[in-house]
Amino acid sequence: MAESWWVSTLARGLAFSAPLLLAALGELVAERSGVINLGVEGMMILGALAGFAAADASGDPWLGVLAAAAAGTLAALVHAFFSITLRANTYVSGLALTMVGLGLSGLLGKPFAGRPLAHPLPKLDIPGLSAIPWLGPGLFRGQSALLYLGLLAALLLWYFLYRTRGGITLRSVGENPAAADALGVNVYRVRYLATAFGGAMAGVAGAYLSVDYRPSWTEGMTAGMGWIALAIVIFAAWDPLRAVLAAFLFGAFYHLAYRFQAYLAPEFLKMTPYLFTVLFLVLSALGKSVRLGAPEALGRPYLRGERE
Amino acid sequence: MKRVGLAVLLVLGMLALAEGRLKAGWIYVGPIGDYGWTHAHDVGRRAAAKAFPWLQTLYVESVPEGQVGSYIDQMVRQGVKVIFATSFGYMDGVLEAAKRYPNVIFAHASGFKRAPNVATYMADFYQVYYLNGLMAGALTKTGKVGYVGAFPIPEVKRHINAFALGVRAVNPKAKVLVRWIYEWYSPAAAKEATEALIAEGADVFAFTEDSPTVVQVAAGHKLPSFAHYSPMLKFAPDYVVSGQLVDWGVIYKDFLAKVYAGLYTPKNLEDVDYWWLLPQKAVALGADRGVPVNPKFIPALRAKKIHHPVFGEISVYDLVMKLKAMMSDVELAFDPFQGPIKDRKGNLRVPAGVRPTQAELESLEWAVQGVEGPWPNEPK
Repeated sequence: MAESWWVSTLARGLAFSAPLLLAALGELVAERSGVINLGVEGMMILGALAGFAAADASGDPWLGVLAAAAAGTLAALVHAFFSITLRANTYVSGLALTMVGLGLSGLLGKPFAGRPLAHPLPKLDIPGLSAIPWLGPGLFRGQSALLYLGLLAALLLWYFLYRTRGGITLRSVGENPAAADALGVNVYRVRYLATAFGGAMAGVAGAYLSVDYRPSWTEGMTAGMGWIALAIVIFAAWDPLRAVLAAFLFGAFYHLAYRFQAYLAPEFLKMTPYLFTVLFLVLSALGKSVRLGAPEALGRPYLRGERE
Repeated sequence: MKRVGLAVLLVLGMLALAEGRLKAGWIYVGPIGDYGWTHAHDVGRRAAAKAFPWLQTLYVESVPEGQVGSYIDQMVRQGVKVIFATSFGYMDGVLEAAKRYPNVIFAHASGFKRAPNVATYMADFYQVYYLNGLMAGALTKTGKVGYVGAFPIPEVKRHINAFALGVRAVNPKAKVLVRWIYEWYSPAAAKEATEALIAEGADVFAFTEDSPTVVQVAAGHKLPSFAHYSPMLKFAPDYVVSGQLVDWGVIYKDFLAKVYAGLYTPKNLEDVDYWWLLPQKAVALGADRGVPVNPKFIPALRAKKIHHPVFGEISVYDLVMKLKAMMSDVELAFDPFQGPIKDRKGNLRVPAGVRPTQAELESLEWAVQGVEGPWPNEPK
């Protein structure tokens, strides 16, 4: 009994966390370079549409994933142009991207609404590993390849951020762009690349929904997941491995909200992860024991030669 | 000069033509691509537009329920004479607007408040849900049938009750496990609610939500399900048993034809309430149009025999077809809610030989026996 509860919570929590994790990892990298992109929701939905359209037209779901990454990247570059090059208000630019993304995808997606996808991404069963008691059935049975991509990306990003020169460069641009500039780092280039990466990941997160999780296209199908991804970045304190845990928590509570519905108000369980986020923020603001870890220059446009 | 005169004539002619046309506007709560409620209303709108050359239609989608008033203002400014408001939550906004525009005809879907210029209309599924319930009862192996509900309001409760009555008529020990998602349209919530029900042991599914998600998730686990609102057979050809289908077009055509003929005016709608069921063909049983029951499930439904109080020994398939024919007749020789019906707390809600009135069905809050799960506003 306990095992079946645990297995279904693990399996469903991971399945629901995959798009959150993918989008959050992308945003995390962008924010580490100092760029806040509130357009995650917009990039995700554009990715979902592009992914569905490409998978539908080609019959290959992986082409859909690629198209979604490309669409997300393009959308992110618009944000990069406004917030990095033009130094426009980064919050307004991101919000605009979300609104444009939702509207544009709704308009362009009309012909795809209500169509099933003939070839969605296959669910993976990993023989051997899925027989491991407690962990196997949840982790290795019927999960999406994109979930493993997300978990792998979290590991690689953690290594990249903390163990490589490129990671130090990225972090220094987010902490103190002037100093990084003085050391010969091209701040604009790093920020462009990081923002584009964020867009690509958000696009793939969207594709997860439209070519795997659902799999079909409907207007507004991201339903606020982009905003949850933004919350996860904060909750994870800008750490890729903690993002895995945070995304899983959101996914698990989302699942449990339906398991416990007979006994507990579902609103309460759905609220819980956000409550954690707020609590975490309060704790980290009060004491020094928890390091919040927000990049120093987060959300501040950089102008070469300008003194603070 | 001649040319200008011709152009003026043409414009005047077009204006005159436009003058003769009836302008009707639809206000939708969701996007028309939702593949559920709003999509179905839009199919109905297009059917009416196609049928009547004198009709000009326009629509706005995704209108928040609190903002219906300003959208009505805008439509009236555009010369719309008949406005269809297609969400329960528009009710009070529509009645207020109806006072502002006494010469405009309003029709409000699924509501119960009327006025001289506000009619109400509804294509209700409870008969069809009962038929689907019979089939679900025959197909469940675990004795647990899953239901993913949108909101715990009387309309959805009525449908779950009718469904559960059907399930128990075939399988008196079966349970209907209910989970609410508190959204009309939320594929993610519908998916996780279905997965939760599967984890609890449910093996046949029905739902109220505006996407084919439940059907797809159930099919992913190789489990049968019943479609809701739109034809969903194509989403899982091997697993959709049947479902409920709507045709708002028949109501829209009837209503607009009567407006055009002068039978309905902004003064006489106080008692105009469409409550259209199987006999009026506003609703139908089916996994797809023309497919009342997926042929893949017919052998299993024929094989399941039960003892019925009226028909004696009968297969579930034959029972469904017999009752469908009876409920499609205006005489309505059979009604799912005919008493005696007890609620799940043991109170006698419908006495023997009595059928609830439409008003009683529209305000029903109790749960029949066999329904398990949270049930907000359940009367003691």
